[in-house]
Amino acid sequence: MLAYITRRLASTVLVMGIVAVFIFLLLHLSPGDPAAIIAGDNATTEQIDAIRRHLGLDDALPVQFYRWLGAVLQGDLGISIFSNEPVAKLIGQRIEPTLSLALTTLFVAVSLAVTFGVLAAWKVGTWIDRALMVVSVIGFSVPVFVVGYMLIYVFSINLRWLPVQGYTPIAQGLGPWIEHLILPSIALGLAYVALIARITRTAMLDVLAEDYIRTARAKGVATSSMLLKHALKNAGVPIITVIGIGIALLIGGVVITETVFNIPGVGRLVVDAISKRDYPIIQGVILIFSGVYVLVNLAVDMSYTLLDPRIRY
Amino acid sequence: MTTTRRGVLAGGLAALASTSAPAMIPARAAPPAARTVKAVMHADLRVLDPIWTTANISAYHGAMIYDTLFGLDENFNPQPQMVGKWGLSDDKLTYTFELRDGLKFSDGAAVTAADCVASVRRWAARSGGGQTMMKRVKDTPVVDDKTFKIVLSEPYALVIDTLSTISTSLCYMMRRKDAETDPNQQIRETIGSGPFLYNRDETRPGNRHVYDRNPNYVPRAETPSAMSGGKVVKLDRVTFENIADEQTALSALQAGEIDFYEVPPQDLVDDLKKDPNLTVQVLNKTGHVALMRLNQLYPPFNNPAACQAMLYLVKQDDIMRAIFGQSKSWQACDSFFACGTPMTNHENTDWFRHGQDIGKAKELFAKAGYDGKPVVVLQATDHYLANPAGLFAAQWLRQAGINVDLAAMDWGALLSRRAVKKPPAEGGWNIFSTTVTGITFSDPIQFTGQAANGDKAWFGWPTNALQETLREQWATAPTLQARQEVAKEMQKNAWDFVPHLVLGQFFRSSAWRRNITGVIGMPEVVGFWNMEKAA
Repeated sequence: MLAYITRRLASTVLVMGIVAVFIFLLLHLSPGDPAAIIAGDNATTEQIDAIRRHLGLDDALPVQFYRWLGAVLQGDLGISIFSNEPVAKLIGQRIEPTLSLALTTLFVAVSLAVTFGVLAAWKVGTWIDRALMVVSVIGFSVPVFVVGYMLIYVFSINLRWLPVQGYTPIAQGLGPWIEHLILPSIALGLAYVALIARITRTAMLDVLAEDYIRTARAKGVATSSMLLKHALKNAGVPIITVIGIGIALLIGGVVITETVFNIPGVGRLVVDAISKRDYPIIQGVILIFSGVYVLVNLAVDMSYTLLDPRIRY
Repeated sequence: MTTTRRGVLAGGLAALASTSAPAMIPARAAPPAARTVKAVMHADLRVLDPIWTTANISAYHGAMIYDTLFGLDENFNPQPQMVGKWGLSDDKLTYTFELRDGLKFSDGAAVTAADCVASVRRWAARSGGGQTMMKRVKDTPVVDDKTFKIVLSEPYALVIDTLSTISTSLCYMMRRKDAETDPNQQIRETIGSGPFLYNRDETRPGNRHVYDRNPNYVPRAETPSAMSGGKVVKLDRVTFENIADEQTALSALQAGEIDFYEVPPQDLVDDLKKDPNLTVQVLNKTGHVALMRLNQLYPPFNNPAACQAMLYLVKQDDIMRAIFGQSKSWQACDSFFACGTPMTNHENTDWFRHGQDIGKAKELFAKAGYDGKPVVVLQATDHYLANPAGLFAAQWLRQAGINVDLAAMDWGALLSRRAVKKPPAEGGWNIFSTTVTGITFSDPIQFTGQAANGDKAWFGWPTNALQETLREQWATAPTLQARQEVAKEMQKNAWDFVPHLVLGQFFRSSAWRRNITGVIGMPEVVGFWNMEKAA
């Protein structure tokens, strides 16, 4: 097991290295020049050239790459071209909102989706099953921003129950923190609920057709116990897998949700950085995202051992 | 390694406890909401040095934390601001400036004449108007802590106008040690002597910039008028909130989560006016000019006939309606200097009275010897003007028989590509569109886009000796009337060599909550002094 984890962690470094090279080349070979954006609309070509020289952006690409890579290897993600702040500090300031949004979404979505999936499988073929599946198709089809605007219109503008936008750190109180996360979590979680609910239903249907379930029923095991202890646990591997895969979906969704609800998270940071070509921030965030994604997959693989004793690494 | 359910559960509980613990810690005290204005401005503030960049939002930041020697009033007349007394020698070669009493930087240090001289010199290295002035400046001696001089080599009537410019970059006064920084290098410090101070601790770049009332600021006694008069701060705090999504910002304003929205979606302005909780008003009465720039380095626009053809292709009404819908917040404009400004005139505008004429444009393109090569039109799909302007330009050109390469990109890529001097087929360009504030557009010295000195000119790099001679004459004209006469000659010439086309002039409304009063209207900058917020 330890050897397996070590191998996987080593592969994480390799993946992050490949991502680093790819992102660096993609950014520097695509159109756009931070110096032109910094200089402003009324600047002349001479002024833009002077800023480019000052920022070292006119150095050869390999020189810029080795400069960046050398710093990254020493744990330094660089300095934002625009704000002059260290990238690590900027990411640090933005990590809490993103983590809060992602974790609350995961919590709400997984709780609802597994319940819906189990319910749909148990009541397969009935109106409950069909209704839940229709809801899940809608949830999967409607874009996050449409859901977001609709929620804002109903719950913030009309009913005035919840804030339109923004984020309150958990340090300023649990109430305001949750208040600001309810609508974004629903908007972001809807597609996630749909995805997991459908997989849960399918996996549960497979398990419910197994002999040991029939045996449990014959022995008079209570329905709830049969569904949750016997069936759900054995249907867990595909569900956990899709939750892991869904992290990528969540990362993409976080970017949009943070924009619609004006949450100052890492997603907003990278979108803003892309629009102004703030290379160090883009590189730093994507590097971290890639690492997180690989580690989440590792955690998912590890969790299999908890669900299925036959799986050993 | 053994992973148990109990271990996973314990870990989860520990993580939950660690995230909940900060809730016990009291939040840091902030000014009461009733004395804080939350504002969403037209752009996110990215660069804190308003001299290093010409970005308008950096000029706004500058107006918060720095002050100027002179400030324009609402009638565009310069008025002393940091300067208490000033005078001009009889030979009109020496200006003497004495600073007001009690001026201090936000770090408590007194503002000195040496600070001001260093600031003027750094600003002048970046500003078009400043460079023109400095060509005539022999010396800038410091007389004492409060007094300095500008000694000219020849009389120059625009010294005070130049120092009071409201076009980016504005002449902000900084500490000497900051102002002695290389003009091509960004200043990292944010210590000024303006009405607010920049609160770095509370600021989160990309999310929120926080400005607190500067307790060291000494306002003038006069009534505030644009960038002049008493900048009395009646709030404890102003925050520039970066809400990237227009719809979200609008919803936040309607819900009272923000107080001031500088540029709400303009096609919704008429609806916003019906909201009883909001005040909707145009603050910049000279508005913005939409312009289409032509690259005069390469065919077809290296031939004046092709440039003149474009005058007959453009239909300002179409572009303005595409952006503003039925809103009446725009006007067609024929002036090379923006309409409603002191230099406005109507010389050589037959093309405007004639209106769009595709046939005439075809004739002129033929006269220019158009050879069928694609004309590269840059279209920034994420820019409110450059997107429709690109599409319209492409359509009109095609109607005139021109082969068009419509290059779609984002605004960031357009800013980069327009600086490329290579031929259009090799990564260059022929046409791009952008906007300039009306007051900047009307100043042929400050706005580099009015220059026609080839390689040194703004993107498009036109060369026209007469235009340069006239700009020089304008700069040295002794009176406003004389400058207006030169402006007529300049426009007469400009609409012949056509460095750019006017696509319309528009006036963007701002919106704020009804409990906000004392909002000062002015071109180019939004000032938060004099503003009050009722509970």
